[in-house]
Amino acid sequence: MKKILLIIAFVISLGGIAQDQYTKGMQKAFSLWEEGKIAEASNLFERIALAEQDNWIPYYYAAQVNAVSCFGLKDEVLLTQRLEKAKEIVDIAKRLSPDNAELLVQEATINMAWIVFDGATYGMTLSGKNTQLYQEALALAPDNPRVVFSKAEWDMGSARYFGKDTTPYCKDVEKALELFATFESDVPFYPGWGEDRAKQVLQNCKS
Amino acid sequence: MKNQILIAVVLLGSCFASAQTTVSGRVTDKSGNPIPEANVYLEGTYDGASTDIEGSFYFETSESGTQTLAVSVLGYEPHYEMGEVSYFENLTIVLVEAINQLTGVTLSAGTFEAGDNSKVSALKPLDIVTTAGAAGDFVAALQTLPGTTTVNEDGRLFVRGGGAGETQIFIDGLRVFQPFNATTVNLPTRARFSPFLFKGITFSTGGYSAEYGQALSSVLLLNSIDVPDQEKTDISAMSVGAGVGHTEIWGDASLSFNTQYINLSPYETLIPSTQGMRWNSPYESIAGEAIFRSRGDKSMFKLYTGFNYANFDIEQEDINFEEFVRFRLRNNNLYYNSTYRYFFDNNWTISAGGSISWDTNDIGVLTDEIQTRETASHVKLKLKKMFGSRFTLNMGSELFNINYTETFTAPDGFTFDSDFNDRIWAGFAEGDLFFSNELALKLGARAEHTSVLGEFTIAPRLSLAYKSGEYAQFSLAYGDFYQNPLSEVIKFDQDLGLEKTSHYILNYQYLKNGKTFRAEAYYKDYDNLIKFDTELPQFDSQFDNTGEGYAAGLDIFWRDNKTVKNLDYWISYSYLDTERNFRNFVETATPNFAPKHNFSLVTKYWVDKLKSQIGVSYNFATGRPYENPNTPGFLNERTRTLNNLSINWSYLIDQQKILFFSASNVLGFNNISDYQYANTPNANGIFDRRAITPPADSFFFVGFFWTISADKKSNQLDNL
Repeated sequence: MKKILLIIAFVISLGGIAQDQYTKGMQKAFSLWEEGKIAEASNLFERIALAEQDNWIPYYYAAQVNAVSCFGLKDEVLLTQRLEKAKEIVDIAKRLSPDNAELLVQEATINMAWIVFDGATYGMTLSGKNTQLYQEALALAPDNPRVVFSKAEWDMGSARYFGKDTTPYCKDVEKALELFATFESDVPFYPGWGEDRAKQVLQNCKS
Repeated sequence: MKNQILIAVVLLGSCFASAQTTVSGRVTDKSGNPIPEANVYLEGTYDGASTDIEGSFYFETSESGTQTLAVSVLGYEPHYEMGEVSYFENLTIVLVEAINQLTGVTLSAGTFEAGDNSKVSALKPLDIVTTAGAAGDFVAALQTLPGTTTVNEDGRLFVRGGGAGETQIFIDGLRVFQPFNATTVNLPTRARFSPFLFKGITFSTGGYSAEYGQALSSVLLLNSIDVPDQEKTDISAMSVGAGVGHTEIWGDASLSFNTQYINLSPYETLIPSTQGMRWNSPYESIAGEAIFRSRGDKSMFKLYTGFNYANFDIEQEDINFEEFVRFRLRNNNLYYNSTYRYFFDNNWTISAGGSISWDTNDIGVLTDEIQTRETASHVKLKLKKMFGSRFTLNMGSELFNINYTETFTAPDGFTFDSDFNDRIWAGFAEGDLFFSNELALKLGARAEHTSVLGEFTIAPRLSLAYKSGEYAQFSLAYGDFYQNPLSEVIKFDQDLGLEKTSHYILNYQYLKNGKTFRAEAYYKDYDNLIKFDTELPQFDSQFDNTGEGYAAGLDIFWRDNKTVKNLDYWISYSYLDTERNFRNFVETATPNFAPKHNFSLVTKYWVDKLKSQIGVSYNFATGRPYENPNTPGFLNERTRTLNNLSINWSYLIDQQKILFFSASNVLGFNNISDYQYANTPNANGIFDRRAITPPADSFFFVGFFWTISADKKSNQLDNL
């Protein structure tokens, strides 16, 4: 009996250590990201992902670090490297966690970075793809605030381009904000971004 | 017992707490330059670090024993080192540069690629279909590229002094036997398939891979889309017909189809074509295409099918006949193409595929009837192995089977049958070797055996590329190319040899910030060309292989889509010096289809305020050789120069509706492609002639395109 207890204690403690290491590592990576150390943060997220093996979360952030850094970037070589790397990472994550709406939104973010960089070249080919991604994501997770918000923001952008009324999508943003208020996940480091930007967008709706 | 547990716990705890080992060192490239931002870590652990600006790294680990130290960074091959952790101190790690397909050298001599992210993309699929003057025919758009000559009464591709029969078209690596709509002389044809089923188009004007054969001049490779973006329905209404298409997606499988009905009657009633012809019954066709795709984890399956039914009845002027000559045609074409690819874990890829076509023509010329039946198939098995990023091996084997029969019936009951059955076997092997990001070599060979001629050939292919600067590269290519005589010959005489060309190509390319410059000089040596002693090949002609010739020239391409906002333009210029003695030529001369200078300017301007794209294309060619029997010499006179200014305008009514308008040759230049002379002189001893001109100087097209998709956003701009 005692032996069994011992083994259980041992396993728990090991798990605890692993958990701590994961938490510590992730926190470190986030602080690197905050300091603007893109490559270091991406490297650390990747190391964690490789060590964890079946956890999509560090892959998600490795992709996000690279993708987000590309908005406003003018260096085509660096941008191409980062976005292609981000896409590869998202593809790995999608294999670990199929039908994951957060990853579809992430993939759409990468496409968006291409479109923002060179709309003439990538707009026509990737905007259809993005619309499909947001739709799939919404079908998988209709109550995920990031999905609802990202789709609304995308639809607004398209409507604005064609000189159409964007107000119908304000409703979706409002709905997203309601969802943000109640959204919870017990997965550590589950994506949590979006609420601030949604508030901003809603502000624009009202002004 | 208690004590033991205590000891164990204490031991375990201490084990985790202590024994920190330092791992440190420096990462550099071959020349000793530091590599920053590299990811250095012990595999399977959390322990690692990024290198700093000096390439140095330092971290501590509690791991012990034998571990694998991994180093990875973009642009270099990953590096692994196995050993005792305690030895991982003050390491010097030299990384090998990875072959970068994006910025490294490419094997591109002689090719134009239109792919989404392909670096050598001179054109994108969208560019091709929005070119003014092309009217949605992507082959017509390719005619604005250098290396092609404008032979606008034909519609097919004439490449670097070669005839239209010297170009072959492949879909997903499998031959398309009848890529163009059936037509008659002086009535330009169009490609049968719609460009929007394809994600990439590679147009090689010479020196192409050993994977392709039976084409003396050029290959056009079309790769179909693997996974469509979204479900949608397309509806189009045009001045010449109507069409409907749909894409359905079920998870990893998808089906796209489109069907189109074309009838020139209403258009011809409104704006009749009157130059040297009149319609009894204008061109009418019904055509459809469908493609089913299914993607597995490591595999891809596709089935493409296309059918086409067309008929027309026309009367055309002929100098040798008082009355117009009547020509009737009914064509049926059915084509299947299926491919399967499987990706093995060890970097092997296997591709297997087959295509088959049935084509029938019922033709009436004056009072004669001609029936043709052709069944042709192609099966292919290909293996590809990548050895790291530096060496790729491609090899395969293929079999073509062509069965052709033709029956000629005269009104008096006389009939004449001609036919042939040809089986061509081919095997090929080719290696792509990247010595570095600056130097690459492609070396291959193709062996072929053709049953109808009983001949065996081996054709070497070679291509070498050197990147001389960040944006510039030079390429060299050489290859031998064999092709069977065309059906029009082989159906009468099978005791002939293969026609042959050798290509020598030197290419320079400069790519920077949305600007592309290409210059390509070439020499083509033609040998064993078919000759015959009648005006056209016929059952009693004497055929032999004694023809020969050459083509030499310079192709220039310039494209810029960055300098002026919203303006995209390209300029092509081709200089062509060619002479040959083939067919029924009495001596060596430049053929009618080979004007010396060709120039194209294509522009597209996006007007954001009008939500419109406006395109203007201008095309110029110097006079084409023609034979005048009233003067001495052979084929030594030239027609007047060709000029053509075309415009198009696509207007996005909203996200889903587009109005499209195009007009070719808006200035109404009267272009002459050739002269036809009477077979016998008139009373004054002069041979009379008539100019061969297009049926109408200009052609107008109006279309309305409506896309219905769940997202209410996509449109058919990319289909135009």
